[in-house]
Order: sequence, then C-alpha cells, then structure tokens
Amino acid sequence: MPRRKLIKERVPTPERPVEERVKDFGEVNLGYTFELAQKEAERCIQCPADYAPCIKGCPVHINIPAFIAKIREGDMKGALRVIWNDNVLPAITGRVCPQEDQCEGACVVGKVGDAVDIGKLERFVADYTREKGIDEELFQEMVSNRPERKEKIAVVGAGPAGLTCAGELAKMGYKVTIFEALHKPGGVLMYGIPQFRLPKEILERELDRLKRLGVELRTDHVVGKTITIKELLQEYDAVFIGTGAGTPKLLNIPGILSMRIYSANEFLTRINLMKAYKFPEYDTPVAVGDKIVVIGAGNTAMDAARSALRLGAEVTIAYRRGREDMTARIEEIGHAEEEGVKFEFFLNPIEFISDEEGKVKAVKFMKMRPLEERDSRGKRKIEPTGETVTLEADTVIIAIGLEPNRIITEDCDLETNPDGTFVVDENLMTSTPGVFAGGDAIRGEATVILAMGDGKKAAKSIHEYIQSKKAS
Amino acid sequence: MGSTLKKVSQLLVSKKYLKARASKPGVNKVKHVNKGDACMYRITDKRDLSPIDYFVEVEAPHVAKAWKPGQFVVLMTHEKGERIPMSVYKNDNGRIGMFIRKLGKTSYELYYDFKPGDYIYSFVGPLGKALKIKNYGNVVFASDAVCGQAENYATLRAMKEAGNYTISIQSFENAANVYPEEFLAKPVADEYYLTTDDGSVGMKGHYLDVIKKLIEEDRVDIIFAGGKLGSLAKLAELTRPYGIPTYTTVRQIMVDGTGMCGSCRILYDGKVKFACRDGPMFDAHKVDWEDVLRRDKRFVELEKIAKERYLKSRGVI
Repeated sequence: MPRRKLIKERVPTPERPVEERVKDFGEVNLGYTFELAQKEAERCIQCPADYAPCIKGCPVHINIPAFIAKIREGDMKGALRVIWNDNVLPAITGRVCPQEDQCEGACVVGKVGDAVDIGKLERFVADYTREKGIDEELFQEMVSNRPERKEKIAVVGAGPAGLTCAGELAKMGYKVTIFEALHKPGGVLMYGIPQFRLPKEILERELDRLKRLGVELRTDHVVGKTITIKELLQEYDAVFIGTGAGTPKLLNIPGILSMRIYSANEFLTRINLMKAYKFPEYDTPVAVGDKIVVIGAGNTAMDAARSALRLGAEVTIAYRRGREDMTARIEEIGHAEEEGVKFEFFLNPIEFISDEEGKVKAVKFMKMRPLEERDSRGKRKIEPTGETVTLEADTVIIAIGLEPNRIITEDCDLETNPDGTFVVDENLMTSTPGVFAGGDAIRGEATVILAMGDGKKAAKSIHEYIQSKKAS
Repeated sequence: MGSTLKKVSQLLVSKKYLKARASKPGVNKVKHVNKGDACMYRITDKRDLSPIDYFVEVEAPHVAKAWKPGQFVVLMTHEKGERIPMSVYKNDNGRIGMFIRKLGKTSYELYYDFKPGDYIYSFVGPLGKALKIKNYGNVVFASDAVCGQAENYATLRAMKEAGNYTISIQSFENAANVYPEEFLAKPVADEYYLTTDDGSVGMKGHYLDVIKKLIEEDRVDIIFAGGKLGSLAKLAELTRPYGIPTYTTVRQIMVDGTGMCGSCRILYDGKVKFACRDGPMFDAHKVDWEDVLRRDKRFVELEKIAKERYLKSRGVI
C-alpha cells in the first residue's frame, strides 16, 4: 500500500446556519455527502483490527477501520454490513454517542491532529444506505433464511435496549412482543432526545423494520400495573426488561414546588412526545417565560436549553462545576453556545424564590470553587465559597439526572440495588430465572449505545437460556 | 405593544411562535378522524349525566382486567391530543366507565366529536396505587365533583363487598346537576346522603356538613373523599382534631402518569411525592394543601386558549 500523508484536519460536516435553525426543530447537522465522507475516510490510518484503539473504545466494538475501508472503496453496503454486525441502529448512535469519550477519544490520528470523525462516518453509512434503499436489501438478505421458533419472548420497554433485544431475537426466529407504557415506542429516543438532534423519522424506520420482522408492539401497557412480570412469565418463555432510567431527580432545596419549575423530563416530554411546541395544533401546552435557567450540564440539559431557546426564550445553563467537567457531548455544548445559550459555572442552586402567586422568579446559588483533588469520575471536587449569587428566572428546568422508575418493581420480587437498578449476573439474568435486564435499568444513567449493547447481549443469553432449557 | 397585551403575552409560550402558528392557514381545523390500527379503543357508551358532566365507557380489556379502586387511567382522544388522567366509575366486561366534566378542550372534544362505536387513540392504566380494601367498619365516601362521584361508587362498591357499613355522601350544586338515579352511589351505600348547595333537591348544604354531623354521632371509622380540591383541604382540617383517618384524591396536572415527569409532585409529610405514582389517594392530614391548590392553576391560561379555540371551531361559542 502506498504511504499516505496524514491529514491532520477534519473534513467538517455541513450544518444549518444558526439564525435559521433556532427558529425550528429541524435537524442541525446535515451530515456528510458521499464525496465528503470519502474524503474524511481517507484520513483513517487503518490500524489493524487486533490493535485498533477505536474498536476497543467502542462499547460494542464495531470494526471501525473495516467499515471506513469500505467507505473508501465506495462499498456502502459492505460498510453497513460491518456496522450491523455489532450495532443495528447506526443512524441513531452516529448521532447520539459521545464519540469523543469512546472511539474518537482513542483514535491514533487524534494524537497528532483531529480524530477521524467516526461518528459522522457511521451516520453517513446509515443515512446513505437508507436513502438509496441499500439497507433494505441487506436487511432482506439477513432475514431471508431465519428459522421459525415457537418460543415467545416479552420485552418490556421500547427504548434502545428493548428495541435492540427484540430485533435480535426476532432475527433468530423467536416470537417477540414489546410492552411499552407510553402511547408511542422509542423510549428516550422518542420523549427525550429532540427532533433537532435525532429526527423521529429515523426511529419510525427502525420500528417499521421490527414490525416486518413480526415483532408485536403493545403500547399503553405499564408493566407492573397493566400486567406484572409474574403474569408475563406464565405466557412467555423469557422476559427482557429494558425500562431505562425514567424518573427525574429533583433538587431537595426550598421552593422546589414553585410553579414553572420543570424536570427536564417533563419539559422534554411535553415538547418531543406531546409536541407542545406545536400548541395549539397539538393539545399539550408548555408554559415558559422569557428568562430560563437550566440546571445541569449533561446532554439532557443541552437538549432542554436548546429546546427552550427555540420557544423564544433567553436561556442560561448553570452548572456547579467548571466547563471542562460538563458531561454533555462536545458537539451539543458547541451547538448550544453557537445558538446563544449562556453558561454560568461554579453555581450550585440553594433556593428557588417565587412571587406572590407562587411562580418562580429567581434562583439563589452558592458560588463554588474547584479543588485540586478529583472524584471517582475524574471530575474536580468543588467546595462552597460562602458567597451567594441570584439569577433572575421566570422558568427553571432541572436536568441533574435520572434514576430507574420503580413502578415495575412494585409487583415483582426481582432483586434490586439501593438505587433501584436490577441486580443481574454476567449473562444479564436477574434473580428470577428467565428474566433478563439491560440498559439504564441495570446501569442507572448510561448511554444509548450501552443500552443497545445490553439488548444484543441479552438476546444471546435468552437464546442460550431457552436452548439449554429445551435440552434438559 | 400595550401594557395589558404585554402582560397577557408573558403568560404564553413564545408569543411570536403562537402568533406565527395562529396565522397559518389550516391550523384552525381541529376535527380529527381516528382510523386504522393506531386507534384501538372503542367507545361503547356515552350518556349525559347533567348539563356539565357525562358518562363514557371505553373497551379496554387490558386495563379493566387489572384495575382496582383508587387507581386511575390516562387517555388520549387522538394523536395530537393530551394525555388526560381520569377517575374510574366501573370496570365491567373489559370496559372502563368514567365520569367526565366538560371543562377543557379534550373533555369537550370527547363529548362533541366522539360517539359510541368511535375509537380513541390511547388508553393506559391502571395507574397509581390501589386502595387497601378491607373491613374498616363504618366507611364514608364523600364527593362534590365529577371525578369524586365516580370514585364514590367505585370505592364503596368494593368496600361493601368487604363487609363494611358504607355511607355515601354526594354533593351537587343544584337539582339540575344531580345525576340520574342509576349513576348515583345509592346501590352500594348502606346509608346515603344527597346534598345540593341551594337545597333544590336532597339536603341543603355540602358533604362537609353531613360529615360534621356523622362525627358528632361518632359513627365514622374512616373517610375517603374526592372532588374539588378546596373542599378536600377543608375536610382535612375538619377531621384532623378528631384523628379520623382521611384519605383523599389529590388530582394534579400530569403528563405521562407513570412517575416519569414529576409534573404532579406534591409536598406530603415534608417530602416531595408524585401523585401519579405514590397516590392519587393520600392521607389528607399530611398533604400541603395550599401548595396543591396553587399548582393546580399552572396552565390555566393555555388551557383556556385550547378550549376556546376548539369551541369556536365547533361553533359553540
């Protein structure tokens, strides 16, 4: 192979101009064209698979150099085949994975210049093959010879973990039924991540594919209420729980019950799932003022801040730590800044102040300062300075994290940890034989890609469990 | 922009946004036709209860099978609709019966646009915690508004089966608002009181007056109540000095109804609780009622916009 010159700079992906995109909820990043993708793919130095740090950095170990090589060859079907080996939802992960902490963070090219834009290349493969119908061809090839099995599996929760698990099991020939509490499937992909970051059509396509695999979807079913795990076990040969982490953490400080204080979950659910930004065409309202403070600095905080901005408000993100300790994807922080979201660091909320009607009018913060010492997650520890500061706000959105929803555990005897996550063994089986769990339901708050990885692993474990039961 | 206009606009989502939408052609068409497999829940019955309330029954075997007194359901009429929590009156033969007040856009829409045989888009439940049904002795259920009237029947029906002496008190504004006999809680009550504010039928007064009398007679072991939040707050104060166990439905604005959004949070015994997940029935003596009453008004302005827009489109106003 001729020696290639290392290109240090990334080929940028086209984005919609700020002035235009803040007026609607359409997607911000437009992704690579064929030519741009091939140009970016040229930057990959093709580390051998047994060494490639990017593969090790990927939670589901996609053979990244291999799919990039296929892009260079112009073989997009081949590229998709490589990705689908480990990840069936690349259009989603290409958009929402924190690549800078995973594959791209490990990229060798990144040591001397910009890391290869693996996320955008992954997304390109998914989008391009979808547009050309190539993904459909490959899909048909993959499912044409699948065996027919009579065993029935129940999947609880139609989010990233559940959808992946259902898809894998259906491909193996099992009869799968997904139970979803909301009226629409998708979980966090539907209610949490906004349209401007993940267009809902992408999700629709994946759901359509599951339907064609024979997966049955029952919405409006709250497992634990409508039907219990015990009842599911009477009808199904195995159960997978992918119920995520859907309960918002709220701040335990004075004034938390003031009006116009939303959990990010409520705010985003109103906007994404219920389409409150189209009120009154859609019936669900969202009442926001002109000055919004968002508390937290993860992806959810960025999503909430940017959604609020699109509703016409002035938005400030307040975070108790410093800039470098923000947990959101770098791309989202960049987009938020470009769009005019303001950032205030080292501010820890201590009180919500409301007017005589009970509506919030300001947030009182303790000013914090960083210490040299770092905590278990590698973030600098902080301590209060004793000085307080008050920010005016007529709406507050709290985005400080989520924990598992305990409704499902009320009516079953599965073993859980103190934080509400399920205890599972190395095969993702819970304390009840035949019941498996994955995603945020076992991890607390993690990522879409890890949830998908769990869904896939659990499908394999369920297959093995059923086969070994049949053998004995 | 004038000062009043400015004041009103402060209440809204982004005013620019709303204005832009309102001027778009076609946006004011609000009639929805529910078709296909997306809308699965058939309306089996719908009847007037009074000029303001109606009864509707929906086929939803998955919910009916699991529902227990104390629990509620959430429904959506169509894909663009809201998720609305509803109290349950009856679950028979895979059907859930509900009492609904014509109050907001969705309740008017369900009344005017849907008839028996039509399908609604979403129906989920049962949600919330079920009441502990056992023999308490003398059980009172008091109600003065639509959701409470439904719960009155549903709860006492189960309490009577559990061997309790059941006392039902149903309060209405006037004779015109009183439900037809067959929808009252009389058949499940060992002792029954009907009151109207103006005395046009039944006793003149409110359920609070009846409860006062029953307490004086020392005939109450436990009280359940539902309906207007203001009355429930008063009830809590009435029974507090006597230490009579009092459980009331704390109706709050909800989105998902499954503990996912925290919209329905209340202050209970000094702690934040979610009405949908930890309730909807709570020990009335531990509820911070002032706060509950305030939070109920959160979306008043926007609710009014949606309702008036709908009623105008129907030519009702």
